[in-house]
Amino acid sequence: MPALPLEMVAPLLATGASTRMPNTEPARFKPGDVVIARNIHPINHTRLPRYVRGKRGTVRADNGTFSFNDTVAHGLGHQPQHVYSVRFSAQELWGPDASPLDSVYIDLFDRYLDPAP
Amino acid sequence: MNGVHDMGGLQGFGPIDREAQERVFALFFGGFAGGFYNIDMFRAEIERMPGHEYLRSSYYEHWLHAIEALLIQGGAVTHAELQARIAELQAAGRKEPH
Repeated sequence: MPALPLEMVAPLLATGASTRMPNTEPARFKPGDVVIARNIHPINHTRLPRYVRGKRGTVRADNGTFSFNDTVAHGLGHQPQHVYSVRFSAQELWGPDASPLDSVYIDLFDRYLDPAP
Repeated sequence: MNGVHDMGGLQGFGPIDREAQERVFALFFGGFAGGFYNIDMFRAEIERMPGHEYLRSSYYEHWLHAIEALLIQGGAVTHAELQARIAELQAAGRKEPH
């Protein structure tokens, strides 16, 4: 990996860096779609938390296209894809004792999701 | 990977230790700007910590572990050099306690 040019260091520290990529990939989901997070157990880095695997959620927003952390972590390229904000109800994740008013929103890559049957 | 880092839903852990944040953040950025790792390589390296060490160390010690490992992998420093410097600082600390 190349070092950052000196003139880029201060702006990056001030504003952070985005991994957003050009919007070239088709979106498999749209807001309102019901999805199931895949029950997968990759041996490499992943941004899919275990507690949502196999759980049903609703796509609330399409955030756009981003570089895929799971492959970038291992030098396997950007593999750009859509990232969605997915809402899971607290009861779906934690059972009937959880508050019916609570939910968790998680940003999830396209490849983590299947359409709910 | 399924490791102890994936703690969502686990209970009984205290708040994050923020003491070492500034120093470790500065170290992180040095290695990042130097081209030795990206954020995803950094996170993956933390996740490869042995589970018992991960649970025994603080949040920013996880960062330090990954920074050291990636700087060694990238050839910026050797394990022996790192150990020698730690010993040097420990000896200096014994002479001038603060």
